[in-house]
Amino acid sequence: MRRLFIGAAAAVGAVAILALSGMAFGHPPGELLRILLVGSIGSPFALQATLIKTVPLLLTGLSVVIAFRAGVWNIGAEGQFIVGALASFLVARFGLMAALLASIVAGAIWASIASLLRFWRGAPEVLTTILLNFIGFHLLGYAVNGPLQEARGQYPQSEVVPPKAVLPAIDGIHAGLLVAVILAIAAWVMLYRTEEGLRLRATGFNPRAARWAGVNVNAQIARAMAISGAIAGLAGGIELLGVTHRLFERFAAGYGYSGIAVALLAQLHPLAAVLSAFFFGALTTGAGELQRSANISATIATFGQAVVILTVIAFGAFHARD
Amino acid sequence: MKLEHVSKSFGATIAVDDVSLTVEAGEIVGLVGENGAGKTTLMRIIAGELEPNRGMVTLDGSVGFVHQHFLLVSEFTIAENLRLALGREVQFDRPQRLIRDLSVGEKAKVELMKAIAPKPRLLILDEPTSVLTPAETSELFQTIERLAHDGTSVLLISHKIAEVLAVATRTVVMRRGRIVADGKNMSADDLATAMVGVRGAPPTPAAPRKTPARSAALHFQNLTVSPGEIVAIIGVAGNGQTELATTLRDTLPRRTTAHIPEDRARDGIIAELSVADNLALGAKTSARTLIERFDIRTESPQQRAGSLSGGNQQKVLLARELDRRPEIIVAAEPTRGLDIEATQFVHAQMRASADDGGAIVLITSDLDEAFALADAIHVIYRGNLSDRLSPADAATNAGRLMAGLQ
Repeated sequence: MRRLFIGAAAAVGAVAILALSGMAFGHPPGELLRILLVGSIGSPFALQATLIKTVPLLLTGLSVVIAFRAGVWNIGAEGQFIVGALASFLVARFGLMAALLASIVAGAIWASIASLLRFWRGAPEVLTTILLNFIGFHLLGYAVNGPLQEARGQYPQSEVVPPKAVLPAIDGIHAGLLVAVILAIAAWVMLYRTEEGLRLRATGFNPRAARWAGVNVNAQIARAMAISGAIAGLAGGIELLGVTHRLFERFAAGYGYSGIAVALLAQLHPLAAVLSAFFFGALTTGAGELQRSANISATIATFGQAVVILTVIAFGAFHARD
Repeated sequence: MKLEHVSKSFGATIAVDDVSLTVEAGEIVGLVGENGAGKTTLMRIIAGELEPNRGMVTLDGSVGFVHQHFLLVSEFTIAENLRLALGREVQFDRPQRLIRDLSVGEKAKVELMKAIAPKPRLLILDEPTSVLTPAETSELFQTIERLAHDGTSVLLISHKIAEVLAVATRTVVMRRGRIVADGKNMSADDLATAMVGVRGAPPTPAAPRKTPARSAALHFQNLTVSPGEIVAIIGVAGNGQTELATTLRDTLPRRTTAHIPEDRARDGIIAELSVADNLALGAKTSARTLIERFDIRTESPQQRAGSLSGGNQQKVLLARELDRRPEIIVAAEPTRGLDIEATQFVHAQMRASADDGGAIVLITSDLDEAFALADAIHVIYRGNLSDRLSPADAATNAGRLMAGLQ
């Protein structure tokens, strides 16, 4: 209950601060709030846009939840998202299932590089995953300017994926939404209703005590990292096959980093992540509307994320590890 | 320096219990006792780092305190560390070397310099020789004697009886928060006996046990534990008990072995998880049943394990570890810090497990506990186990073995 309250307080606080900061641009806060609301959930079109943004946010959020719950600081969802999409694109000609599977495997492998460096060299994953993000980002940049560039060669972007690899959609909402929600439930079951989930959480809270209790701590860490990477990779695959249909340089759009905000606002609870992802999806969509009708930069959504994270940390509800 | 009826407790644990002590100028007082006897707490009270709950501390001049652990910035040079601590330059051999490049002996010298440069009237050294080579130790003792000759009082905390006898002009023994012996001409035997509190007659041996239901025995070095047997490992803390427990953890098959780690809060329960989750990490039986059977006082199975009292945390651990009827049980300090009721409960559980055929290793610094439970005893000293002793033999020899005199 207390955790739910803190989450809600952080979200409301963030929106309130956003609205107040709009005064700096000479807009009354009430007016800004109205634009934010209408622009995010006020019309079928806006709601659709919000839901489409919710999908990658929820998936990267779940990715971060799993890793942080195990006490591994995977800051690499962004890079895993990118390599997932790249792998998806490469095998798209074999169909939808192959493309999704490729994104999962690629994300898991990319994240596991950080695990390997941790076990082999003791390198902290906070650093290695961030560095892997840069590698992933530039790999994508190279691909869309080089081997994967569209045949016309006009823009730094790839061709579109073949139709048979495109995710089915109803009313503009692709099937990725269903996948993401099912994964949220699955993550909850795994974390809170299975022995392996208990061992994972024990590892995250107190690896020493977990070891004494007979938990293979390194195996838990490696597995959590791989699952976390797999989900972030899948997020990239779904974004490619459901929304953009092609790769381009700014493809990841910060979804990996936003996943950290989603997970923290949800206080690392996979079901709460559904609400949290929807909130940030709405915030991003609403911020776009703010830019169009009030001429306030859409980066204000990023500002909102920062406020939420700081609020959650300030309330002290987030302590996965000492 | 004068202490009058000083007491200090942390929560329910009494660390220092009504201690009075006077140290004259130029005296070198050796303070010995087991870990947890209250030595370090008492020294921290004298140094002003802790406030006593009761009693008076009278000091004539300043106190220099060399802590057991190095308090040095390892990326700084010697000179920088000394300036940081003292606020001025001090003479030292090659002061531009980085702390991290120094040997432990040299680090100890820097620590000592930090303490003696302000010319304190009283110098406290907490286990200063534990990391030193014999040559460094004798060099340190020469320094101490020179300081004492110049009028500084020295309080030297140590486990090592021989060293204390070599340098101290007077020896004080602490046990369970109290001063149990204080004198100028004590023999090593007197000290060892006072330190560990070995009593003359061992308690009546436990009744012969039923035929064990299980058959796995434990063999490790010269340690053999048969099914249905409790073998105690006793010794002054820091002689390899922790390493022994860790080695047993990493070598014995986890499926058939239970472990009660010595540091309950850090290695035992997982404070952030619920009681039910902590139990489920090892036990098969439902949390509600275990809470009832082990009499765990908790509001609900969903309560955070970290919010339980120490005794109830230990019950959670016992329930988690014993529910699967392990063949081997390694319990390290299973009753440390527990009240009498909880201690009796833990002892009853260990006896019951032995009666049920479990092979039990009890690593303890509580000799009363060892004598109350054990069928046989080994003394651990500097990482080595003594021969297997009967409780009666142990009662006569344990003190000397624990002090490394035999």
